[in-house]
Amino acid sequence: MDILTGFGHGLMVAMQPENLLYCFIGVFLGTFIGVLPGIGSMAAISMILPLTFYLEPTSALVMIAGVYYGAEYGGSIASILMNIPGTPSSSITCIDGYPMAREGRAGIALFTSAIASFGGGMIGMVVMAVLAPGLAALALNFGPTEYFAVILLGLVAASAVSNGSPIKGIAMVVAGLMLGTIGVDITTGAERFTMGVPELRDGVSLVIVAMGLFGVGELIVSIRANASGAHQTDIDYKKFYPSRAECKAIFGPILRGGAIGSFFGALPGTGQTVASAVAYAVEKKVSRNRDMFGKGAIEGVAVPESANNSATQTAFIPTLTLGVPGSASMALVIGALMIHGIVPGPRLLVDHADLFWGLVASFLIGNLLLLVLNIPLIGLWVRLLQIPYRYMYPTIIVLICMGIYSLNNNVFDIWLTLIFGYAGYLMRLFRFEPAPLLIGFVLGPMMEEQLRRAMLLSRGDATVFLTRPISGTLIIVTILLLVYSIVSALRAKARSRAALRVS
Amino acid sequence: MKDFLLRLRRSDDTARLPHAWLGALGGIALLALSLIFVIGGLRLGVGSPRRLGTGAFPVLTGFALGALSVAVIAMDLRDTSDAERPDWISFAAIGAALAVFAVTVERVGLVPSVLLTVFTASLPDPSLRLTGKLLLGLVVALGCWGLFIGILDLPFRAFKGF
Repeated sequence: MDILTGFGHGLMVAMQPENLLYCFIGVFLGTFIGVLPGIGSMAAISMILPLTFYLEPTSALVMIAGVYYGAEYGGSIASILMNIPGTPSSSITCIDGYPMAREGRAGIALFTSAIASFGGGMIGMVVMAVLAPGLAALALNFGPTEYFAVILLGLVAASAVSNGSPIKGIAMVVAGLMLGTIGVDITTGAERFTMGVPELRDGVSLVIVAMGLFGVGELIVSIRANASGAHQTDIDYKKFYPSRAECKAIFGPILRGGAIGSFFGALPGTGQTVASAVAYAVEKKVSRNRDMFGKGAIEGVAVPESANNSATQTAFIPTLTLGVPGSASMALVIGALMIHGIVPGPRLLVDHADLFWGLVASFLIGNLLLLVLNIPLIGLWVRLLQIPYRYMYPTIIVLICMGIYSLNNNVFDIWLTLIFGYAGYLMRLFRFEPAPLLIGFVLGPMMEEQLRRAMLLSRGDATVFLTRPISGTLIIVTILLLVYSIVSALRAKARSRAALRVS
Repeated sequence: MKDFLLRLRRSDDTARLPHAWLGALGGIALLALSLIFVIGGLRLGVGSPRRLGTGAFPVLTGFALGALSVAVIAMDLRDTSDAERPDWISFAAIGAALAVFAVTVERVGLVPSVLLTVFTASLPDPSLRLTGKLLLGLVVALGCWGLFIGILDLPFRAFKGF
């Protein structure tokens, strides 16, 4: 199926009434949750995940994708209006979005953010439609050795390049790999680390791990962060449309942000935050209006929003074609597909072309919905931000309980969520990132399976990972990445120590 | 009660440990986890290089985590920054709310369980009075009844044992 035929077919799938409905629900709920300060797209997807089990795989994926980019867009609303990033990737938008709001240009900043998100999303969609089939065709030649090496690279990239210490990131990935071994070993049928608990025979549910680490963990953190009560916005957001000159000024940044975001989104481990930051830095260098950056430059809102949204779309490329998620949100997407019996990887484009192209086309519809929804609904989101958080968080905790309990109608799942929720909070306290743990947890069983197969086929010769050209190259890239991230972390630490000494 | 909670929050604000201790504690927890998996994996059997056994992957990852934990402990013990400010009140309240839901949902039904869960979660909030907390619980409980049982038709009992 060539790209245009595939996309046309995908449009027909995405335009089916039920997919349109779930796309709308996903975008709406994603924006709703993303607007709440401190609750990001991970928590949003975790909360929605149980609902998608009852849907067809395509509808489920379309809805999850809608929640994902809806939450990313919702995050920028809190950034612009209150200088509180709803999601980490929208923190860059605060730099110019909030000063614009203080100048009484909040409406224009929100409109720019919506248009730039749409533009970036479209660029990301085109990149995905063009690149994914080629990558999938290449990956069809992969054997277990190559798969093991790709997964290893994905894990190291996701942990080492993420925020915080690379050593801690890798430790979290390994802890996730270990958690993934709990349950019955599919090769031998032996029980592992179940402690005789029958509910653990099938392993720990992805939803429980995600809902605990991100839903409950983030909720505990967010209570104090939002303890000041309602967020008052005395900002005029009624003037909405930018002038012709402003429209002209944001056109270039949207294209540049979209291109940079597409590149970083497709790389495992970097994601939207890095994409937004790099795009902002590049724009600051090339813009004619660079002196205004940080003081309310409209380009400073357009470029990170475009980069952020295009990265959101292209993050699906390695996830769907290789089965290797670049971020924790993508790990959840893989988990959701596997729950529906679909194994992400190069065969997905052949065996489930409907799903792949339907998803690509749903990006167009979802981004249009995002645009259409957010321009008239901006007043609703602002009002939502004004509801005191003391009313919101007890409601959210009930929704988490209901989502978990409805999985199996078993209270054991609630207790397990409580354990993971506490673990998630303590991890933040100990400065460990929970996201790499989730990626390791999802990829662990796949990694173990490929390792066992590779060792069996090579008759126990572990050098096969280095002697086969593709896997050897990937392992070398992994080692280089690891060395680079450790060296740059040590350098950053030395710089901050030197700065401390000087001050 | 309100004064007590406010005082607790204030004293919580001033108690800042160095991060070194907390960080090392996290590393020690990971080390213990790695030991459990190494010992458990060895008991399950690691097999041969050609046919990796059930315990091989847990042992491999356990050793890797053990080494990383030692690095984390060494690194964090040299950290001179202040620890993150823990919010034990919210920690306890959210945990208690989940526990209340787990204990009550099958005994008393969805509506009373949600009411108690919301009440428990909002208990430490000094800005909301007791009646306000109960009212919020009632509103959320009725909302859940309408949404999950009325609209989504999920197999929950609204009331049980009454």
